[in-house]
Amino acid sequence: MSPLTLTLREAPRQRIEMSAFTPGRLAESSAEAIRRLPLWVGNRQVPTGDLFTVDEGTREDLVIRSDSDRLDGIGAGSTRGTIRVEGRAGAYLGRDLRGGSIRVSGDVGIFAGTGMTGGTLHIGGNAGDFLGAAIPGERRGLRGGRIEVYGNAGDRVGDHQRRGLILIAGDAGDYCASRMTAGTILVLGRTGAQTGFAMRRGTILLTAQPRLPPTFNHNGPHALGFLRLFADALATRDGPFSRLDARGITVDRWLGDLANGGQGEVLVWAP
Amino acid sequence: MLTKLAGGRLFDPANGVDGEVRDLYIRDGRILSEAPSGEVPQRTYALDGKLVMAGAIDLHTHIGGGKVNIARTMLPEDQRAHVRPRTALTRSGGGHAAPASLAAGYRYSEMGYTTCFEPAVLPINARQAHMEMADTPMLDTGGYALLGNDDLLLQLMSEGASQETINDYVAWTLRATQCIGIKVVNPGGISAFKFNARSLDVDERHPHYPLRPRDILRTLSRAIAELGVPHPLHVHASNLGVPGNYSATLATMDAAEGLPIHLTHIQFHSYGTQGDLHFSSAAAEIAEAVNRRRNVSIDVGQVMFGQTVTISGDTMHQHANHRHAHPGKWTCMDIECEAGCGVVPFRYRDKNFVNALQWAIGLELFLMVDDPWRVFLTTDHPNGAPFTSYPRLIRLLMDRGFRNEQLARIHPEAAAMSCLGSLQREYSLDEIAIMTRAGPARLLGLTDRGHLGGGARADITVYHPLADPEQTFARPMLVFKAGEVVVEEGAIVRVVRGATQVVRPEYDRAIEQRVSDWFDRYHTMSFDNFAISDDEMAEGIGSPIEVHACRPRGGV
Repeated sequence: MSPLTLTLREAPRQRIEMSAFTPGRLAESSAEAIRRLPLWVGNRQVPTGDLFTVDEGTREDLVIRSDSDRLDGIGAGSTRGTIRVEGRAGAYLGRDLRGGSIRVSGDVGIFAGTGMTGGTLHIGGNAGDFLGAAIPGERRGLRGGRIEVYGNAGDRVGDHQRRGLILIAGDAGDYCASRMTAGTILVLGRTGAQTGFAMRRGTILLTAQPRLPPTFNHNGPHALGFLRLFADALATRDGPFSRLDARGITVDRWLGDLANGGQGEVLVWAP
Repeated sequence: MLTKLAGGRLFDPANGVDGEVRDLYIRDGRILSEAPSGEVPQRTYALDGKLVMAGAIDLHTHIGGGKVNIARTMLPEDQRAHVRPRTALTRSGGGHAAPASLAAGYRYSEMGYTTCFEPAVLPINARQAHMEMADTPMLDTGGYALLGNDDLLLQLMSEGASQETINDYVAWTLRATQCIGIKVVNPGGISAFKFNARSLDVDERHPHYPLRPRDILRTLSRAIAELGVPHPLHVHASNLGVPGNYSATLATMDAAEGLPIHLTHIQFHSYGTQGDLHFSSAAAEIAEAVNRRRNVSIDVGQVMFGQTVTISGDTMHQHANHRHAHPGKWTCMDIECEAGCGVVPFRYRDKNFVNALQWAIGLELFLMVDDPWRVFLTTDHPNGAPFTSYPRLIRLLMDRGFRNEQLARIHPEAAAMSCLGSLQREYSLDEIAIMTRAGPARLLGLTDRGHLGGGARADITVYHPLADPEQTFARPMLVFKAGEVVVEEGAIVRVVRGATQVVRPEYDRAIEQRVSDWFDRYHTMSFDNFAISDDEMAEGIGSPIEVHACRPRGGV
């Protein structure tokens, strides 16, 4: 069955709050009701039909066509089904995601995957700052599920992360995995300054030598069987994530942040 | 303009009116003592049988000042999860446990409250506190200035300064901070914490000053009485939240030596050490003591289940509780050596033994203190629960069936240790009107409000008489503020601003030299910039003062 499709009529001047569009929330709504659904646009409310053309289809598979970077909160709190964005997404993509999947072909804004506990986020382009992080004031970042980024990510990836997996094919910015408590982050490109800052536990997997805080200890090379399992688990993923087995299982290991318990590990494959 | 409220059932305990059907007339923001003859009202509200009470007064709610602001900034999730959108009339605001100032004003008004008092104004923070309260719309406000842990008072007492000198310092503080009362939090204990003490009982000596909490309580309550300040010393007693603290609470009552004393959030001070977990209710002992001592008044600080944030000047005990923070973040800090500050977010759970028993202890106190004029309805917002839970609390007091239903849901051992199930009492509407209006007005010396007699300000709340008191009190039919309708059917229809309520006891200006020397030597602010003038209140801060009378001096 064809997907329910929303196509943005014209680029908005204000930001649009999109969290109303999830398979769970729209399950009982007719196409007409969806066109009437009020959306916050800046500080005004506007019916969906004025902003988007709505094409009927199954509520379990939503498609949003937009080239705007101002559609915020796409898929926030979603629990099931798929949401596909053909184009770009704004801030808070998949915030508090509980299940199902969200795929974006282009770039996404800041705070993607914050508060997420399950499901998958698949980002074809670049992600902004605070990917899978704790938003200011919160005590926990990513708590479950998987985030895949095929471009680069901004600063503070996985800040306060507690569980779950973040995969980045390109580069990550400064303070990657800061204050991390558990979970795994893989970066195939470079990372910025202060990688692993205040990290307590958890694992960062890298292919390039990181710039670590001085409070990390070098452990020397290790052959870790876990890496074979990890590579196998990702063998069905797209693109670069499916070919990790070629890198072998020997990594350089660093432990830190010793200023905060020091049980986090940074594993670096030889280039 | 003459306004008539026709045919309402009036509950006006201050004037001995209990549910009589009468007409009320309002002119120029005041209630008229009798119907004007030969005049036709311009506006008439037909209230047949609706419940008419004076606007409610909350005498202990943390709505302004440094600690609340710290709680707001510490809990952005509280703001995010409870959003109040802007309307054509009202501005946006948010928060549940620590609501933004605007949201707090609107919600209080929507529940029929017209006057609220911030009980912990640090003198150095008074300007900020008044600014926040000026930014709390719909309400008249006021504050109690904190003394009893400030080094100047402790030093004066240690030097053996005369009671007259202390009185002058107290009166100067009231004047400089534009407050209506004096509060003491854990007398001497916050100061002792800075000398590394982790507890200080009523008769224990301060580690630095040769003083006991009892001395501070006696001196300050005497100062209040001799100055003729209507509101008794407002006391947050020693040993907050510590099992077995009821004996300290009883000692605190006696420390006033028969002078008026108000013990606030007494629920947190009514714990025994019986049972396997060494935590039990001492509500019976406390209630009996309050019943016997006519000089004592209390407010309860009821705990209601759910997420909130505890904010207190009691650094000593907030520090002791910080491991229970939920979510796991907290702060304790010193404020300019005047007092302390501790902010610990907390979630009370009905299946937790201690929390469940706290809930029961609060209700036991409400039901076992006989005189509704001396017990006041508070949750110590937001320490026991946010003020928005008042309607539910009123239902717990008025509806025994509902109370027992709730009792059946809490932790079974807590329920078994409480005598709550055997208490038959149900509050009447008249008693609710006493504890939420007439009583607080009398205790604060506010003669112009809290009643419906001639000359009173026309702060009036009209409720629907519904079977469920929670619904009645959650959504008034009409709220009048100074004669204008501000709320209709629980929704704001007109936004007004309030004034600041103060008292002005006389004092000898010679004390200012002593305080000024202290400021020059130790303070971060110069003496000349410290006091808040009446003009600044009206124009800079935006909440003009209204002065209430003191009793004649020396009438002890």
